[in-house]
Amino acid sequence: MKALRPERLIAQQVWHTALLNRAVVYLGLFVGLVVVYAVYTGWATFRKQNGLRTTYQQQARHDWLNNPDKHPHRMAHYGHFAFRPKPPLSMFDSGMESFLGSTLFLEAHKQNAVNFSEAGFSTGMLRFGEISLALVLQLLLPLLIFFLGFGSIASERETGTLKIVLSQGISWRQLIVGKSLGLIRLMLTLFIPIMLVAAVLWLTGQAGVVSADQVVRFGLLALAYGLYLSMCCVGAVLVSAVSASANVALVRLIGLWLMFTIVLPRASQALGSALFAAPSKVAFFDRIQDDVLKQGDSHNPNDPHYRALKDSLLAVYRIDSVEQLPFNYSGFIMAEGEKISATLYNRHYDELLAIYDRQNQFSRAMAFLNPFMAIKNLSMALSGTDYASFVDFGRQAEQYRYDLAQTMNELQIRSISNRKPGPADKPAVIDRKHWEDVPEFRYTALDVGPVLACQTISLLAFLFWGLALVYLIRKLSKTLRAV
Amino acid sequence: MLQAIELTKQYTPNRQTIPALNALNLRVQPGDIYCLLGQNGAGKTTTINLFLGFLEPTSGQALVGGMNVTDHLSETRRLLAYLPETVMLYPNLTGLENLRFFSSLAGFHYSTDELAGFLTTAGLQASAHTSRVGKYSKGMRQKVGIAIALAKRARVLLLDEPTSGLDPKAANEFSDILRRLSADGAAILMATHDIFRAREVGTHIGIMRAGRLVETLTTPDLTAQELEAIYLQTV
Repeated sequence: MKALRPERLIAQQVWHTALLNRAVVYLGLFVGLVVVYAVYTGWATFRKQNGLRTTYQQQARHDWLNNPDKHPHRMAHYGHFAFRPKPPLSMFDSGMESFLGSTLFLEAHKQNAVNFSEAGFSTGMLRFGEISLALVLQLLLPLLIFFLGFGSIASERETGTLKIVLSQGISWRQLIVGKSLGLIRLMLTLFIPIMLVAAVLWLTGQAGVVSADQVVRFGLLALAYGLYLSMCCVGAVLVSAVSASANVALVRLIGLWLMFTIVLPRASQALGSALFAAPSKVAFFDRIQDDVLKQGDSHNPNDPHYRALKDSLLAVYRIDSVEQLPFNYSGFIMAEGEKISATLYNRHYDELLAIYDRQNQFSRAMAFLNPFMAIKNLSMALSGTDYASFVDFGRQAEQYRYDLAQTMNELQIRSISNRKPGPADKPAVIDRKHWEDVPEFRYTALDVGPVLACQTISLLAFLFWGLALVYLIRKLSKTLRAV
Repeated sequence: MLQAIELTKQYTPNRQTIPALNALNLRVQPGDIYCLLGQNGAGKTTTINLFLGFLEPTSGQALVGGMNVTDHLSETRRLLAYLPETVMLYPNLTGLENLRFFSSLAGFHYSTDELAGFLTTAGLQASAHTSRVGKYSKGMRQKVGIAIALAKRARVLLLDEPTSGLDPKAANEFSDILRRLSADGAAILMATHDIFRAREVGTHIGIMRAGRLVETLTTPDLTAQELEAIYLQTV
């Protein structure tokens, strides 16, 4: 008969005895049902939302192109909609998707906020969190692992079996590693089918066409969750090993679960916001408005900045009124105003993002205290549903808005007469074919490289926890006692 | 095979020193069945735990096969088998599966027939081999414990009140097995409260009181009544 190492023997025994336990089987089936529900709802939401967003993005483009001949400035105010496409992996982890909105109305002179979040159209129940696959893997599966692992060593200590096991000549290290491997094997029994089902639905959600970037993201997600759940397994066994009884181990593990998944995330969020206070939305836009007025009010004919601009133009063209200019003066002023307001908005927005970034960095650094934060942040980032991806969408949409407004200003400068039309004149409009000068809005998601670079702290925290557990196994193997 | 040299163990809860074992000297040779008698707290289980390496001595040495347990933990554990008062195995596994697991852990890999042979030798009826241990009586579990020791080919047996709670028939069967193991050359150290069983099966008897070995006797020299009298006088 083939000899197995003690660690593998113990792992096999953990697996075998767990499967003989009906409670474990029923619990596994329950988690399986929750997983099926989470996977299905994630997939269905992805299909529905992406279908809607694609349809409305096309509709917005269609409406834009089908405007009649118009004054370009009216078109600049007609504006455009930017819809954030739902990332394919959002069916795995919806992250901030439901709270940060997906639709931006883009128009001249004004930076609007993202609207139409799921939360805005839902009851307060959404605040308790949707059941996504990520939620199941982050919260429910660790709880199941803790339930399976709390008695792994503590129960045997209580019953005296531990003494018989150790008296066979195996070391504490072999016992802990073996029990951990057994628990990991049990975890993988649920985890691998979950990921396979998720992969199938993820592929069908994209009609089987996936980019290499998406494949890498999915692979990294699977790897990260595999590691996270394995750490939960080792943690459960270690807590069991240091506990005098199984009851004590269970209470400790549930306490840790509550601490890691509820208390510490909320506390770190609150602490981060307190340490790095961000201005309110009203204050943020008031400050921009104040700065715009200081820089120059394009609607005020006596504004010093615009008066100086006007004087310099008159001097260069050696004329005495703007009506004599060879281009449309109003368009020129609006282009200047757009440039000033966009520059100021971007500066204030960057400052605001810097504050949010400090808050997020603080929250990410908490992953060194709480591995749940590491997987949560990494999962959202790889799924494309983290804050950074929404900021990226906002930036691309703002660039599109600016280009749209300036294209219309440029058309006004070039194609609209400087002279106000009289009642008998043709209206000051341009041909509708010019609307095609504005390209369609297409959001390009961040590549996985920059995404991972943003998550350096989370990755380091993962490494830290991995090394910490290895250290604990080595340390406790020397100090643990059977009695 | 089994030797305690000035073996001492003190516990220090809350900075108080509580002596559990005080300068114990004893030797158990192959073929010996050394019975340790004494009241609860006399130091019997502490002695066994020190030989098993579950406790570290405050001073002195516990030797198994001539090796210091503290320095050669895994080597000494390979030589011995341990049987507690209540053998708690894995209740969801059968007797055969439990035996396969424990003997494999000790590095022995047997066929199913060989494992069944050990269980039969230990006195477990064949029909019970494939029943779940959760349905076993205490005596049946003790027999699986003995089978584990047999399969391990242990040269030293450490038994902590193994007959406590067994019915007379099961206790008799157990004594027979011990005699057979002893005849095969095993060195057996058994902590027990059962004076009559100790007299019947033991070759040597040590009476402990407050962590000290206060009396050492050889069984052929005395009757059960005499042993009881000595015991009562000593403790």
